[in-house]
Amino acid sequence: MTTISPATLLEGSFVALADAVSSGRVTARAIAEESLARVEKAQRDFGAFLSTDPAATLREAEAVDRRVGAGERVSLAGVPLAVKDNINVAGRPSTAGSRILAGFVSPDHATCVARLVEAGVVVVGKTNCDEFGMGSSNENSAYGPVRNPWNPARVPGGSSGGSAAAVAARAVPLSIGTDTGGSVRQPAALCGLVGWKPTYGRVSRYGLIAFASSFDQAGALTRSVEEGARAFAVMAGGDPKDATSLTTPVPDVGAAPGARLEGTRIGLLAEAASAEGGLHEDVKASFEKAAETLRAAGATVTTVSVPRVPFAVPVYYLTAAAEASSNLARFDGVRYGTRKGEGSLGALYRQTRSEGFGPEVKRRILLGTFALSSGYHDAYYGRAQKVRALLARDFAAAFRHVDAILCPTSPEPAFALGAKTGDPLAMYLADVFTVPPSLAGLPAVSVPSGFSRDGLPIGMQFIGPGDGEPLLFALARVLEDACGVLARRAPGAVS
Amino acid sequence: MKIDLGLVSKVAALASLELTDAERSAMSEQLTRIVDHFEALRDIPDELLAGEETPRPMPLRADAAEACLPSAVVEANAPEFAHGHFVVPRIITRD
Repeated sequence: MTTISPATLLEGSFVALADAVSSGRVTARAIAEESLARVEKAQRDFGAFLSTDPAATLREAEAVDRRVGAGERVSLAGVPLAVKDNINVAGRPSTAGSRILAGFVSPDHATCVARLVEAGVVVVGKTNCDEFGMGSSNENSAYGPVRNPWNPARVPGGSSGGSAAAVAARAVPLSIGTDTGGSVRQPAALCGLVGWKPTYGRVSRYGLIAFASSFDQAGALTRSVEEGARAFAVMAGGDPKDATSLTTPVPDVGAAPGARLEGTRIGLLAEAASAEGGLHEDVKASFEKAAETLRAAGATVTTVSVPRVPFAVPVYYLTAAAEASSNLARFDGVRYGTRKGEGSLGALYRQTRSEGFGPEVKRRILLGTFALSSGYHDAYYGRAQKVRALLARDFAAAFRHVDAILCPTSPEPAFALGAKTGDPLAMYLADVFTVPPSLAGLPAVSVPSGFSRDGLPIGMQFIGPGDGEPLLFALARVLEDACGVLARRAPGAVS
Repeated sequence: MKIDLGLVSKVAALASLELTDAERSAMSEQLTRIVDHFEALRDIPDELLAGEETPRPMPLRADAAEACLPSAVVEANAPEFAHGHFVVPRIITRD
């Protein structure tokens, strides 16, 4: 039997890697050792990881080797996985990028992690992220920023910036993150990766550290669409531990995507051209080229309007902040995490929270508390909820005319570290295209569509109706084939 | 709408946060700018907002006790734990 080196396998698709482990051409332990060495470099160069446990990783890899040796069919055998630090992995720390959770060790797996582990993945580390998932640049982590492997002077996006950098740096072929308003898709776009968020409820939220529960979803970041679809197939499914999870059958994303798109109707988001904050010239050009690619593949491409998209950022930041102000009330220094302060119980709460939370988290808690407070509730939170429902109706109307909507994932390629940290509103506007499907609970896939003139990746986002994932992955495959991203390696990728 | 220092202090108290003077000042300036931007929602005519969202039915489960985390696991993450309970500062005192 021909053996194959772990380093070679980590440069390719995890589908081939799992096949090699399953067929005995390489061990999961050898793969884990190579990945752990790369993780250390990705941490050194990009700040992508917050914690590792090499001994546990090697034990888990050996367990996979025993399953394979016993003849068990293990679909993702030995695939190294990086997990965003706001998703629980049993026996490992989960800080969510916050000082307030320093020292917290997860008692059990998040359901999406449990499903992946059952399928044979090996967890190699927990990744850096914006504190509690609040940020679009990974500059809001209490443990330092993450840098982009395509250009270390640029941000990787956020909030799953560490998960994106880990895959772009080729430390792991698969990472998972949470996507509340774009936190998987936007870093995927800025790091030249595929990133998806499912239809709300399709992947269990159990074990995710809650930010905004009516938005939070787990998703995956991979280099290719095929890998993204494989991860979806494993992670999706109902869960008694999450009452909002869908119990209807998971749509089959395994069917081979066709290269031809005759009969498929694609709507280019009309509001994209006039996005507040502007659309970067190179992103605009890539958007136009993507439309041409889809036309050439046989799709009917028109323009479709979702009229309330320009209001999505205000609606999102009012409603998600309101939910955050409630969800984060649990961090009070009593049951877990750090404790500060003495004297009264109130003083303990206040000091723990004031020292434990960073500036962006405080800002959103204050905004959310304001929006929910007496005298302001109806004008802000209440109105935002009504516009959220209207936006969902806008999408439903649009999907009577098209099968999927295309728009850029981010209005610009990766921006410089520090470029927006002094202006929270400018940072929020980076989410202008990712928050609309989050508000409506719709699935969306970001796929690389090309590069800017200075060599930074650009991503396009396909949005579908509920349970539209199979078509979204098929469409993403067409753009992936056309842009040639799989042939390019980030200059900072480790080996 | 102006989110002045007094309103910032009131909201911070509701959220159990203590802010320094510098933080309060920065939050006042930033939140005012953010909320001003969000006033755009008033541009949407009220008649368009009349539609009701149909809530998704929530599944029900049996009202039965289930196993929970063992006390030792909870204790391992607690800042202070004694006799099976979380320890907090005294909250009942005698005058």
